[in-house]
Amino acid sequence: MRILLVEDEAPLRETLAARLKRDGFAVDAAQDGEEGIYLGREVPFDLAIIDLGLPKMSGMELVKALREHGQRYPILILTARGSWQDKVEGLKNGADDYLVKPFHVEELLARINALVRRASGWSKPILACGMIKLDTTAQSVTVEGKLVDLTSYEYKVLEYLMLHAGELVSKADLTEHIYQQDFDRDSNVLEVFIGRLRRKLDPEGTLKPIETVRGRGYRFAIPRTDGDDE
Amino acid sequence: MDADTALPSRAPTATTNEPASSRRPLSLAARAAIATGFVLAGFLGLVGLTLSQANKERALSALHDRLQNFAIAYITNTDVSRYGKLLWPDTVPDPSFSRPGSGLYAVARGDHGYHWESSSAVGRDFSFLKPLEPGQSQFVGPVDTRMGRLYYYSYGVALDAPDKKSVRLTVTVAQTEDQFEGANAVFRRTLVIWLSILGVMLIALQLLLLRWSLTPLRKVASDMSRVERGDSEHLDSQYPLELTGLTERINAFIENEREQRQRYRHTLADLAHSLKTPLAVIRSQLESTVAGESSLRNGVLDQVRRMDELVAYQLSRAATSGRQTFASAVPIAGHAEDLVQSLEKVHAAKNVLCEFDIEDGAVFYGEQGDLLELLGNLLENAFKWSRHRVLLVVKTQRQPGWRRPGLWLSVEDDGPGIEPDKIERILQRGVRGDERVQGHGIGLSIVQDIVHAYQAELVVDRSPELGGARFSVMWAPA
Repeated sequence: MRILLVEDEAPLRETLAARLKRDGFAVDAAQDGEEGIYLGREVPFDLAIIDLGLPKMSGMELVKALREHGQRYPILILTARGSWQDKVEGLKNGADDYLVKPFHVEELLARINALVRRASGWSKPILACGMIKLDTTAQSVTVEGKLVDLTSYEYKVLEYLMLHAGELVSKADLTEHIYQQDFDRDSNVLEVFIGRLRRKLDPEGTLKPIETVRGRGYRFAIPRTDGDDE
Repeated sequence: MDADTALPSRAPTATTNEPASSRRPLSLAARAAIATGFVLAGFLGLVGLTLSQANKERALSALHDRLQNFAIAYITNTDVSRYGKLLWPDTVPDPSFSRPGSGLYAVARGDHGYHWESSSAVGRDFSFLKPLEPGQSQFVGPVDTRMGRLYYYSYGVALDAPDKKSVRLTVTVAQTEDQFEGANAVFRRTLVIWLSILGVMLIALQLLLLRWSLTPLRKVASDMSRVERGDSEHLDSQYPLELTGLTERINAFIENEREQRQRYRHTLADLAHSLKTPLAVIRSQLESTVAGESSLRNGVLDQVRRMDELVAYQLSRAATSGRQTFASAVPIAGHAEDLVQSLEKVHAAKNVLCEFDIEDGAVFYGEQGDLLELLGNLLENAFKWSRHRVLLVVKTQRQPGWRRPGLWLSVEDDGPGIEPDKIERILQRGVRGDERVQGHGIGLSIVQDIVHAYQAELVVDRSPELGGARFSVMWAPA
């Protein structure tokens, strides 16, 4: 999950970026609106966190500019004032949710998960594909009701694939959405992750949840269940 | 809606808007009307008096001439015989002299007891007449006689007799006052009638002119109340030169007040940003870097929460402008839709259906920000607690005699509702109804402050339709 974080206050930006990375997100941080618009247009993010009070270009303008540029990923705005005028304007300009400073980091994480999930068409916090259930709130995965122990990177890869269940996800997509910019994209680490995920989810090799589309990428092959909306 | 949602009514009695009439100084129109009334009455009275006096003098002079002419006619026709005897005229200059009691009399007295009178004067007593020296004349009147009040003209002549002796004669022609006054009275009556008509017309014209010249003042007053109602931003009509000094200053004052508020809000926004960002840094650093449940971490986090609530509450309190005289009218429907759309977006996962019942043209008199805070917090609260339905009702109550209609604004949900014994506790400032839901208490405190600042009333009860909580804010007509 690749996140754009635009926040001018350095300590807050660094703390949040560190915390998000620790939780398995790939984070690109920008300190002002101009840097934000540059990154936001160039990088295929899964979500953007934008502070409204930014130097050079206000957060409101940034949200508007990103939407006008055709970026569809969810945007969460951070506002210090917390006035409804700001919230309504931000949401009208294309943001999807807001948080009033100072917020709880846990609250922020919960909102991020919900937004990403909703953006992929999942309305409930538990992504269910057949026997495999991924709880985005608890960040846990169960297969046939049994908890599967995953590292945070493995979890993120699985979450991304399940969010886009049934769709083809290219290797480039996956690396871009899961890893930091400095990650060596040519390495076969991704293949190693996928291999480990397959073994952990399907030790007997009967479910075959992750399909390899030769030369193009991967697809989560088990269709969505649990009466979800898509 | 149910009967219990009826707006509180207040009879339009004379209170602050209408000072007691006994103390109110006279209106400009009344002053001008009274002043003109007095001036006109004085002026027309004097004109009447002068005209009537002039007419009387002219009439007297005409009477003098007439009587003189009659006297001369008599004298011319009188002759002296060879024996010094006076020969009386046999013609009359006016038929009235021959008609007894006509009011026009001629009397002549000469030396040696000569005495003559016209037929009209037969049997009447003219003993009060004095003989005059030749060449003397006299116009007298009115004098009281037995025949009533008389004007008379006497002329003394000496007629030459053939025996060279002259005969002295005094000819008097008299007219009763009735005849003279009759004509005068007609003139006076006509004069009074016409002057009165003129006076009434002038007063009516004056009132019309006054109305016309006071029109700009009335325009200013009506424009002011438009500004007060919020229908207009400032006094925007064209005013006469004499009033522009006043209207421009009022506009400058209104503008200044708005700018001040704007600046104040900007300052508060900056303050909020600069106070809350450090709090956000502290919180995020503590929550993400300090591991475990140390008592220091929890203690600091608790204080951060308290500071955050204080800052949020006090800033929002300071930003609430409250009831203003020059409030603009903020249409409610558009803002409510924006808010609901925003909340539906944020609470999309919950699938809440928010219904509207907003009366057409319902407006909020105050700051747009305050309306958004009020509605936003109430709606957010409802979205948080509702299961699937939220209802927003906005109604107005127009009452004659009040500039601003009453307003009823309620937000209901189908959630668990609030137990009656908890309502009071929830309405206590700063007390959180439920600690689990972030921002719950602060939102309601802000709502209460806005309600208080705008002199409205907040009622919390159970929604008759949805079964959950209902928060109603009511403004009486003002």
